[in-house]
Amino acid sequence: MSTHLSSIVDKARFAADALVAAIGVNSAVVISTEDGFDLAHAGGRATEPARLAAMMSSFAAVGAAASQEADIGVPRCMVVESTQGRLVVRCMQVGGEPIVVMLLTDKNVLLGLAWNQLSAIERTLNQK
Amino acid sequence: MKDFKIVFTGPPGAGKTTAITALSDTPPVATDVRNTDASLSKGSTTVGLDFGLIDLGGGQSVRLFGTPGQPRFKFMWRVIATDALGLVILNDNSLPDPLAELAIYLDAYKDLLPAMSCVVGVGRMSRNPSPSIDDYSDMLARRGLLLPVLSADVRNRDDVLMLVEIVLAQAETRV
Repeated sequence: MSTHLSSIVDKARFAADALVAAIGVNSAVVISTEDGFDLAHAGGRATEPARLAAMMSSFAAVGAAASQEADIGVPRCMVVESTQGRLVVRCMQVGGEPIVVMLLTDKNVLLGLAWNQLSAIERTLNQK
Repeated sequence: MKDFKIVFTGPPGAGKTTAITALSDTPPVATDVRNTDASLSKGSTTVGLDFGLIDLGGGQSVRLFGTPGQPRFKFMWRVIATDALGLVILNDNSLPDPLAELAIYLDAYKDLLPAMSCVVGVGRMSRNPSPSIDDYSDMLARRGLLLPVLSADVRNRDDVLMLVEIVLAQAETRV
């Protein structure tokens, strides 16, 4: 891991905890590098952060390829809407480093709230 | 319209993206991102899939899919191999233990191999002649596998095309 990425880890841990606190204990957050390494995670749901980090990396990359193919620019957010909940994946830059943030929520959490909180996390992560 | 699906797999840096780029008749789809893994000496790495297409003419085409190489993306290996006609395992002879690397992919596709065409292409053999093609064949034989193994430079379109043709020929004999 680069020195710059190492410097993001503490911020990422704080951000992951803050996101879970905002959404609720029955959520989970995994913050990872764009090539699928888990930088930080939080949450009360049983997840395997390392596996989810790799999967979200693939998901984000396929989303980016599809966006490019469709000529709609750079992807910001992707959502997996499932019967029991949803995965909201936000691609962001933190100090020039591409980062993938995954938020796992119950189905009763409003998607708008998830988006709003992810935007807030992006701002937090980019604060000096 | 008939199309075939062939999957390229193998360790990171073996040249899966390069091979598909060399063969594809359409602009390839790549999902490479910047590599942050210090143990890999490469600037970017595939994390999703590669995709390319060969037009065989007469309404026939070959869809080429590439997997990410790192075992942490193992979940993609099986997803991408679903309904594939055949598998090209690209190996890199400059790795510390190329036969152990090959074993990872043979194990991952173990249950699919009896019904799937497969060829092993070994890269960087000119500077790294060991293990030899015979060593590879012996290793495969010890696993009860009889698969073609050949040296291949993935930057060379003809070499990659040969691997694809072998898979197609194997599939034809299975019918």
